Amino acid sequence: MMKKRFNPITDRSSEIVAFLMASPDMPKDEDLRFKIELSIEEAVENVVQYAYEGGIGWLEAGTSLDDKSLILTIELRDAGMPFNPLEKDDPDITLSAGERPVGGLGIYICKSMMDSISYRYEDGNNVLVMSKRV
Amino acid sequence: MKVTINKQNEKTLVVLDGRIDSTNADQFQQDIASLMEGEKPDIDIDCTNMTYTSSQGLRVFLLLQKSVMARDGKMVLRNMNPRVKEVFDITGFSNIITII
Repeated sequence: MMKKRFNPITDRSSEIVAFLMASPDMPKDEDLRFKIELSIEEAVENVVQYAYEGGIGWLEAGTSLDDKSLILTIELRDAGMPFNPLEKDDPDITLSAGERPVGGLGIYICKSMMDSISYRYEDGNNVLVMSKRV
Repeated sequence: MKVTINKQNEKTLVVLDGRIDSTNADQFQQDIASLMEGEKPDIDIDCTNMTYTSSQGLRVFLLLQKSVMARDGKMVLRNMNPRVKEVFDITGFSNIITII
């Protein structure tokens, strides 16, 4: 597993995304890379914006591939407020433009773009794991 | 993200070039501030070279769509690349914003 701890993380979303996208575990296919990058950005941005009161804290970001190099896994870990983003209701995408609330799409995009996404709270850390067949 | 806005008679032609992400979504919103003004806007946005948008970019498009509707205007997004279009599709934005 390739991983790195970023501390502090304020305003460093794009740096964290770039670190993960530069991993040798990442696929070359541009369509896949687009979906993975977007999911990573949404998940990282969630932590950077909301995990720590006052924005001061760390985020550990890593990638790994399974033995057969078929499944890419991305893991994000932080010590911010316990928060399970998967408990949030999906947005109602049938609403009209007038009715649609602004925002709240980030994790929904991750769920849609990745094959699986899971959350656990472990040793005082939020751990978000996303995986995609590559 | 580079935003070019040209007024041609009653129509406003906009060309987007680049990506919209967490680093520049606020700037993008400022860059299109002029589109949020005026009665009955008629806005045509060329998305040929918009290569990426995160949810923060979608947020700005939704604000703009709401603003256009509130002013009894119309807006189209044109020539969106398939990857970006998929983001609009999965979020239901393709149903509330005209994409041609």
